Amino acid sequence: MSSWFWYGIRRGIQTTRYPEAPETAAGVSPGRPLPTTFASEEQASQAASNCPVRAITASENIATVDLRTCVWCQRCHFGSSNLLSWDASYEWAQTPAIRKDYDRLETAFSQSLHVMVVDAGDCGACLHEVKQLNNPLYNMHRLGIFLTATPRTADVLLVVGPVSENMRGPLLKTYEAMPDPKRVLAVGSCAITGGVFGKSFMSAGGVGMVLPVDVEVPGDPPPPLAVLHGLLVVAGRKMPLPLSTQSREEA
Amino acid sequence: MAAYAGAALLLFYALCATGLILSWVFRGKDASLVIPWFGTLCSIVLMAAAGLRLAAGTDFHLNLWTLNGFGTLSLHLDALSAVFLFAVGLVYLSCCFFAPDYLSRDGHPAGRYGVLHFALMASVVLILTAGDVLTFLISWECMSILCYLLVNYEQEPEGDFTAGYIMLAMSEAGFLAVVIAFLIAGNAAGGYSFGALRMAAAHLSGAAMWDVFVLGFFGFGVKAGLVPLNFWLPRSYTAAPPIFIPVFAGVTLNLGFYGILRLNADLVPGHGIGPGLVALVIGAITALVGILYATTENDLKTMLAHSSIENAGIIVAGIGAFLVFRNSGNAVPAALALTAALYHMLNHSTYKALLYQGAGHIEAATGTRDMDRLGGLIRSLPALSIVFLAGCLAISAVPPFNGFVSEWLTLQTFLRSALLPSAAVKIVFALSGAILALTAALAVTCFVKTYAMSFLGMPRSDWKSNGAEFARRPRFSLTLLAMACVLLGVLPTYVIPALNRAVEPLAGASATASLVPPFFTATQANQQLPPAFLADFHNLGAQTGARWVPGRGLVILLRGSEQNPVVFAMSPSYSVVALVILLLIAWFVTSRLTRQRSVVKSEVWAGGIPNLLPEMTYTATGFSNPVRVVFQAIFRPNIVEDTRETVAVHFRTAIRRRRDETHLVDRLFFRPIGAIVNSVARLLAGMHHGRLNAYVGYVLGFLILILVLYRIG
Amino acid sequence: MRLADSSTANAENINPQSYDAKSLAAAIEKHFSSAVSPSANEESRFDLAFILTQPEALPSLAQFLFGDAGCSFGGLIVEEREEWILRYVFLIHGESWIHFILRLPLATKTVPSISAQIHAADWYEREAEDLFGLEFEEHPRLGDFILHDQVWQEGLAPMRKAFDAGQTHLKKRPKEDWHPVLVVQDPGAFAMPVGPVYEGGIGESVHFLLETVGEDVIRAVPRLFYNYRAVEKIAEGKSVLDALLLSERFSAKSAFAHSLAYCQAVEKIFQQQVPERARGLRVALAELERLRHHAGAIAAICQSTALNVSEAHAGIVEEHLLRASCAFAGHRYLFGLNTPGGLRRDFDAQNCRTLLGAVDNASSQLRKLEERLRYSSSFLDRLEDVGIISPDSARDLDLVGPLGRASGLAHDLRRACPYSGYERYRFEVPCETEGDGLARLRVLFSEAQQSAGLIRQVVESLEPGETRAPVAQADAGMASGWVEAPIGAAVHWIRLDREHRVERYRILSPSFRNWLGLHVAVEDFAFQDFPIILATFGLSATECDR
Repeated sequence: MSSWFWYGIRRGIQTTRYPEAPETAAGVSPGRPLPTTFASEEQASQAASNCPVRAITASENIATVDLRTCVWCQRCHFGSSNLLSWDASYEWAQTPAIRKDYDRLETAFSQSLHVMVVDAGDCGACLHEVKQLNNPLYNMHRLGIFLTATPRTADVLLVVGPVSENMRGPLLKTYEAMPDPKRVLAVGSCAITGGVFGKSFMSAGGVGMVLPVDVEVPGDPPPPLAVLHGLLVVAGRKMPLPLSTQSREEA
Repeated sequence: MAAYAGAALLLFYALCATGLILSWVFRGKDASLVIPWFGTLCSIVLMAAAGLRLAAGTDFHLNLWTLNGFGTLSLHLDALSAVFLFAVGLVYLSCCFFAPDYLSRDGHPAGRYGVLHFALMASVVLILTAGDVLTFLISWECMSILCYLLVNYEQEPEGDFTAGYIMLAMSEAGFLAVVIAFLIAGNAAGGYSFGALRMAAAHLSGAAMWDVFVLGFFGFGVKAGLVPLNFWLPRSYTAAPPIFIPVFAGVTLNLGFYGILRLNADLVPGHGIGPGLVALVIGAITALVGILYATTENDLKTMLAHSSIENAGIIVAGIGAFLVFRNSGNAVPAALALTAALYHMLNHSTYKALLYQGAGHIEAATGTRDMDRLGGLIRSLPALSIVFLAGCLAISAVPPFNGFVSEWLTLQTFLRSALLPSAAVKIVFALSGAILALTAALAVTCFVKTYAMSFLGMPRSDWKSNGAEFARRPRFSLTLLAMACVLLGVLPTYVIPALNRAVEPLAGASATASLVPPFFTATQANQQLPPAFLADFHNLGAQTGARWVPGRGLVILLRGSEQNPVVFAMSPSYSVVALVILLLIAWFVTSRLTRQRSVVKSEVWAGGIPNLLPEMTYTATGFSNPVRVVFQAIFRPNIVEDTRETVAVHFRTAIRRRRDETHLVDRLFFRPIGAIVNSVARLLAGMHHGRLNAYVGYVLGFLILILVLYRIG
Repeated sequence: MRLADSSTANAENINPQSYDAKSLAAAIEKHFSSAVSPSANEESRFDLAFILTQPEALPSLAQFLFGDAGCSFGGLIVEEREEWILRYVFLIHGESWIHFILRLPLATKTVPSISAQIHAADWYEREAEDLFGLEFEEHPRLGDFILHDQVWQEGLAPMRKAFDAGQTHLKKRPKEDWHPVLVVQDPGAFAMPVGPVYEGGIGESVHFLLETVGEDVIRAVPRLFYNYRAVEKIAEGKSVLDALLLSERFSAKSAFAHSLAYCQAVEKIFQQQVPERARGLRVALAELERLRHHAGAIAAICQSTALNVSEAHAGIVEEHLLRASCAFAGHRYLFGLNTPGGLRRDFDAQNCRTLLGAVDNASSQLRKLEERLRYSSSFLDRLEDVGIISPDSARDLDLVGPLGRASGLAHDLRRACPYSGYERYRFEVPCETEGDGLARLRVLFSEAQQSAGLIRQVVESLEPGETRAPVAQADAGMASGWVEAPIGAAVHWIRLDREHRVERYRILSPSFRNWLGLHVAVEDFAFQDFPIILATFGLSATECDR
């Protein structure tokens, strides 16, 4: 249909320039809470008590956030007292604490990465953010990242969700069906620590309980650019977040 | 040389008789040695006789004895017979080996089977070497009866003999038609030897020639399995015991082609292209109907029966093309057509016998023939899977197997229709060619389904394995046939000159001269080919092996006119060499490249479910369903049952759909004819009401009628 | 025709007529006087409630309510306290809710089933059997629902009080020789497995067994609950604010709608009056979510038909709406806004105007997209007359949301039982009757436009004021909150104890209802149509699984 063609031409190129240039449009990311210095220790501990998942720890008058546990409930962003400061970043990918640094894939994969996405009990938001990477505004194809339909041709296993028990078996089978070399990318706080679902008889409490995770992307959900950053880290084109910037739990 | 052939033939008869007597004498278990030993000996002698006749140039004739009023009974071994004899010998050679195992497994006494086996072999060879009408007809009748006995060999006394009866009835009907045809021809000739018939054929009136053709063609067409007369074939092929069916499919089917060729091409050739067109169209339709039903059939044996019908159609279409070309004066295409038909006949015997033996082994190993319930046999029967694959590839016309050469030659003859005079004939040729191309494609579908559903995938039902692999002797017979398939496919330039002995007298042109040029050396320059073309062919390596490979050459090539010097060319021999070299290179390269990679085997990826169950894999019905849907107009299934059972309307507990299909031939021919016959019979039955007075009245009326006729005449 | 139980048969013919709450109550008391009695206590504080004294009357009562009175079945809420409390929720159309409460001793093993009368109750009863261990008589398909037989052992009953939700290494005893229940009895039939790891890009984890004989799908059996995280179980014992997180995050694409339903239930218990400004903003945010959800559903339909260019355009619209949501409210999926009593933050006028601009832009883009799609005949061919659910089937299965509206069921909770001030705004409820994929697409486009109109009305009529109300009186209690979520009608029912901890949290989600309708739509369509029909349903497996 030629009208589609002209319609598209008139709309112009809308793809983000990330990773060549940072994306500054409003609303691409909810941002993340940052370590905040308060006036007093009491205020810092008050700030820590705002958090329903105990992701904020106060030491003296500084409150820090463990991004792996944070579920982005926004209670330290607005609506309470002693709020933390937030930024507008989106590059959050990091490696789990047990891996000191990230074991990069070979350079052959840096421009051609095939991703297998598995929904292991996800709420729908993380999966949807990953799906947004296919639309013209992000267009991960231009970076050489593709989705595969079968794990046999996949390099990266992207898992969202806390791994519900019914999905534990299929997830393991998917991982075993992938040939080496392979990496596992856990996207979202549910996939890292179980999120609001935590550990229960039906929820494993994160992909790390089931598979060896290579790169984590915190967020609830992480915006598409954060997922893209995570994929670029897996591809070896970006570095993961240094260990020192966030307080971390030892696994 | 011809004398040697004749001696071999007589030796064959002697051995056959001995085998028969020995089987009768040793009726018990000892007879199980007679069939392999004597059978092998007979087959080898037979093939030797055929080969000797083909090597020699002259026929062998032997007068047996003269009967008053019927003429001389004689044997006559000419090139056409020799070709058919070779096929018979090859099939029998392979069958002799696995008969004893089957017999001992099923507990049937080998002696009784041996009698029938040797008797049938003798009668078949007698048909093929008959020199006059009476020998031919007597041995044909013997063959029909023996076939009936063998088809019903495994039936219990209370069993279902319908298939055998139908076969016998159709055979007899065909036989009657053939008898009348011979009578008409013999009447015009004055004598009943084949020589006399040949000489008188030129003087036959047009109407008589048509009569002979129609009666002969359709009479032999019953045996050959042509639409609409192949009503009996799937039923009796399915009912026949596994020891007999390779013979049934590989030997007796060919007798129909032999009859058609002998009567309608050799003895009473006829004028005009009408007969040829009839044969062509019937052949094409038979092929299409056969393969359609084969593709949608799930029972292995019935599927192979329909596939035999398809191949019969291809052969008869080739024969039809031959008749058209010959009677319109194009001798070279006629030779091409007849070569293709005879080659296909030879190929069909080998791969069909192979497939039927394989099917018999599958049934013995698993207890079922239903492809919807087979699967995964490649793991439990690995050796059988290899030879069965060879058979499937051969019948799907995949190079380097033999099916490719004959199918290709058949399709090429249809392309030669440009030489024919009238546009209508060209259209008929084009349509038939298109139908044959469609059947070739459907044949691939059919055999992909067969092989995949039987051997690959997961077993779809549990069966008790009857012993691991089959024994040594049957393995030999299957391997022999597979090797024959390969050799016939890779060395066509040696087969064509052998077939040419039979083709040249009938077509009037030499197939070898037209199709197989000698090696393209500059010294033996072929004047009909331009030098530029020769140079190209040199560069392609067409003269490879010129000095040390025996024979004319390794390329099949048909020459055309000035503007188009080469109509087509192919060389399976070169192709297979190239194939082997490429495979070796590919293997070498990949093994070098992947030396450092490790190969990990894991289970089939099925979406993450705990385990893949057999009911989640494709069935044979599902695979062939698209064909059934596309050709719905031909299949016309009646929906017998389409019920949806529910509990409380909402919970579906069962969905049952049953479709009933009547075969196209039954629907169009036999149901209406049966209805008419039944209604006439019902009418006539009104005569038998039991009143004595009326019966006396009938006698009186008939007497008066006779007197009146006598008075008039 | 559904069966009528003869135990309480009445001689006179009960004519179907439209009832309102009063007349229905009167009719029930007249016809089922021996079996039900009005509830006068705590249970009927917010909703009209009846106690069922004779369990055997349940099927005929269900038949009366659903078949004759034209009520819609809302769901089944099972509680285990000192006795079993089964609460059957019905919706009187255009009116209000009506609850029927059945109390049974804990030793009771079987309960009469109403699935024969109300087909929509089928899955609720299967869920109750799997999670609570209650058997429903004459229900032919119990078992292998949430806890798959191939993985879990029988008799687990995780929702019972004795079951500890925190046990993390529960021993599984899978059934080794499990075979699926196949319905098609054709010798050549087989069941093509699809999923749960969906092969086709990105999809939620659902497993299908498509029974077929080769060309068309004769029966499709979805096997869901791969995403079951036992939200209702782990909510027990949590504080109100902690359970609020669960209500948002069990199905994040309708997070605001579900958290709104939850908050409304809590507000009833706490007797909080939500300020006007908060009610208006809640409407705007709910409609923003609906608009964004429908843009995503349209993109999914375009993707399933492989018209990638239209999928790209719809995807752009959706992404812009996500960004607008984030710029307006701080989170792309509107997390963290609802709280019992109102909203956790306010929005200034500039922010509202920016949002309005983005919404207008999205609405005009969707209108242009709809125009273009109208002329793409190859696209229309794949949707028209494909996956048909007739109005009778839709009524029979009691479908909700845009799916039901495309098959003639013009029910919308925003109209029927207005909440959060919807009665103040003008909007239409689009309805189609063909019930095919194209009708569902048209409904999505129309609803998107209506949502944009609603947002404009809210923003233009917003009065300054508070956005959060204080807690007036805190006590134990139970209440239900409802919302018309993007996929359909959703009800959240909560019982709180004295310390404001959740004692029972029940989510009646719309996807749970609508998944039941899938097998009707895909029967006898070709394999190629299956993903398209699935996309036109716009269902969420995770919202169904919870």
